[in-house]
Amino acid sequence: MEEFSITKKSSGDIEILNLEGFLDAHTSVELEKELESLLASNKFKIIVNFKKLTYISSAGLGVFMAYIENTRDNKGDIKLCEMSEKIFNIFDMLGFPILFEIYNEENTAVEKFSNN
Amino acid sequence: MSDNVKILISSSTKNLSTVRKFVEESAEHSGLDQATINQIVLSVDEACTNIIKHAHKYNEANTIEIEVETENNQIKITFNYKSGNTFDPNDASNPDMTEYFKNFRVGGLGIPIMKKFMSKIIAQHKNPDINSLILIKSLDKPSSFPAGAKQFRGTIVFR
Repeated sequence: MEEFSITKKSSGDIEILNLEGFLDAHTSVELEKELESLLASNKFKIIVNFKKLTYISSAGLGVFMAYIENTRDNKGDIKLCEMSEKIFNIFDMLGFPILFEIYNEENTAVEKFSNN
Repeated sequence: MSDNVKILISSSTKNLSTVRKFVEESAEHSGLDQATINQIVLSVDEACTNIIKHAHKYNEANTIEIEVETENNQIKITFNYKSGNTFDPNDASNPDMTEYFKNFRVGGLGIPIMKKFMSKIIAQHKNPDINSLILIKSLDKPSSFPAGAKQFRGTIVFR
C-alpha cells in the first residue's frame, strides 16, 4: 500500500479530494502541493473526503489551516467529510469544528456549497 | 514484568511511519486499549517530528534512538538525540484555540497533543551533546499484561 495518495474528481465547480493512507509531516507536503495547485487555478470550492485516511498528525491539520482563509476570501471553502471516529476525535479535541465544516456524508458537503 | 525495545532511525520524516509502527506494536504487548495506543502513537509522532524539524533542521545525517519500555501499568518512550539545545515542552504554554482559529494560525499543535495524551513529559540534557525526551503514559488501573509475553530485544536500524 502506498503511504499516501490523493484522487481527485469534480462536481460542477467543486473539487473533491479523496485522501488515502496516512497524513503526517512527510506526506502532508503532497496535500499542500495539491491545494496550492487548486488555488492557483482559481478553484476555491474544495471538499476533502477522509473515508480512506487511516491516520493524521498535527502536520496534516496544519495544511487545512494554511489554506482555509484563502479559499474563504475567494467565496469558497474547504469542507471536510467522512472522517473515521479516530480522525474526527483529533480534529474535535483541538477545536477544529469551530472553524471547519465537517460532514458525515460527502453529498451533504456538496449540497452545502450548492445552497450558498 | 517489564520489557524494552529500541530502534535507531536517521532523522527524516520518511521514517515516521516506521516509528509509529514500532511503537504501536510495542504498546500492543502492554495490554493498553487501542484508543490509548492511538493517542500514544500520535504523541510519539509529534515528538519525533519536532526533533527532526527543530533540533536537527531536517539534517538526515543525525539519528534518533527511540526506546519503548512497557510495564504492567505504564509505557515509557525515550528519544535520545544529539542537539546542542535543550528544549523542554513543559515550558511551552498551550495556545488559546479561539485566538488560534481567529488568526488562522498554522503549526504549534504537536506539544498540546503530547501534553493532552501523555501522563508526563520529561526533557533531560544528559551531556553537552545528548538530549533525552521522555514520554510516559501511566494507566489508572493495572493492565492485563500477558505474564509470558516476550518481545524482540535489540536494536533495529532504519536508514
